[in-house]
Amino acid sequence: MISDSITSASISSLIPNNNNGRDLGKKKRARTAKLKQCKLDVRREQWLSQGAVKNKGCKEEPNGVVQTRKANNRSLDNLEMRPGGEEDDRSVHHHDSDSESPSNSPTSLTSSVLGTNDSGTNFTGSSSSSSSSSSSSGGCCSGSITEEEEEGDDGCLDDWEAVADALAADEKPQNPCSESHPEHQSIGKLVSPCQMTHGPGLGIGISKQVPRASGNTRAWRPDDAFRPQSLPNLSKQLSLPNSNRQHYGCGGVPWACNNVMPAPSSCPICYEDLDFTDSSFLPCLCGFRLCLFCHKRILEEDGRCPGCRKPYERNAVEAEPSVHGGSLTFRLARSCSMITRS
Amino acid sequence: MQASRARLFKEYKEVQREKVADPDIQLACDDTNIFKWTALIKGPSETPYEGGVFQLAFAVPEQYPLQPPQVRFLTKIFHPNVHFKTGEICLDILKNAWSPAWTLQSVCRAIIALMAHPEPDSPLNCDSGNLLRSGDIRGFHSMARMYTRLAAMPKKG
Repeated sequence: MISDSITSASISSLIPNNNNGRDLGKKKRARTAKLKQCKLDVRREQWLSQGAVKNKGCKEEPNGVVQTRKANNRSLDNLEMRPGGEEDDRSVHHHDSDSESPSNSPTSLTSSVLGTNDSGTNFTGSSSSSSSSSSSSGGCCSGSITEEEEEGDDGCLDDWEAVADALAADEKPQNPCSESHPEHQSIGKLVSPCQMTHGPGLGIGISKQVPRASGNTRAWRPDDAFRPQSLPNLSKQLSLPNSNRQHYGCGGVPWACNNVMPAPSSCPICYEDLDFTDSSFLPCLCGFRLCLFCHKRILEEDGRCPGCRKPYERNAVEAEPSVHGGSLTFRLARSCSMITRS
Repeated sequence: MQASRARLFKEYKEVQREKVADPDIQLACDDTNIFKWTALIKGPSETPYEGGVFQLAFAVPEQYPLQPPQVRFLTKIFHPNVHFKTGEICLDILKNAWSPAWTLQSVCRAIIALMAHPEPDSPLNCDSGNLLRSGDIRGFHSMARMYTRLAAMPKKG
């Protein structure tokens, strides 16, 4: 049986990982002992669900591509698959079985059919999280590029988790691996982090992959669970500086106005650009120009022209229009003083 | 507050841009406080301060540029208009003749000009003022030169 040899390989590679601290001889003995047990278990389970496994193995890709059509098939597979995978998990590696036990709950199996795998390994959690994960994992399993583009890393990682699930549940490491390669390459082209997390996992071995998957899920779980919230948060954060800037602009009205408006020259006092109104504003006969905001501030303080140090005439603004003979400048000056006041 | 800060930022940018323009003045802003500046100015030629490098400390008020910055010499200098101990500068543009159109850079230029043209009639350093007012130009020069060498010139060896 091919699957047996494969599972034995996977288990043998699993056990040294678990007993990192012990010496090799002990490991080997324990390995062989466990191997036999596990082999028997696995053989029984896989013989029971062999058809399903093979179906699933074959369907992994088509399922991904045309998921909605084959959803029913898949759900059946999952339902059949689930018990076998779990027993294996329990017997072989404990942390996985721990994390998977909540998925035993019939609700997750029935409610989120597509996401059972993912919710099983990823989430010990609530039905809401499992449902959300199921939706996301459905997206990534389907490998639809649009979803991938939208979801980015998360979607990709879910996909990786799905692959890890397949590994853990099927105990058929090579098949999912060989599948996952093209799958990932096709999907993960868009997102490099996926391949980065995926690559080392494959390189180290299947036994490491599974714990790693759980580790990954642990690391990503908050993100996944909070994903709907965190996305708006991000946009909020992005919008925050903008709103701040706007607020700031509102606070220092004349400044911000000057800043925004293009102008030929800048005010010698505040160095802000002079807008059209400012540049047509001549508060002193010496010809020293400045922006209306600074002019107002100077009037509030000592009221002397920075250019000639003579006191500004209070009626200088009113005098200007008569000098120029135009009512336009007068009106402009008026309107600007209103701006400065506001 | 905001206005002074914005203006100082602009001045800082201007200083960075025109660093080479005036080789006699090196203006630098405090790393953490934009209201604290220091400047290094070279003593003007054909004066007893020639060859010396004098450090100035600027304390910019929040009302700047409507209010003048407070400037003082950190380097000892023998000058009728500079307090010998505190480094306080008696300069009209730093007091009532201040104009918001002035900048820190132009203040530095004004101080260099004041070093070249002391005003003994409004002295902060009475000894120096008295020497000049009594016409002892040589005495003043030797005193100023001595302090320049002592305080403002890099020591050899």
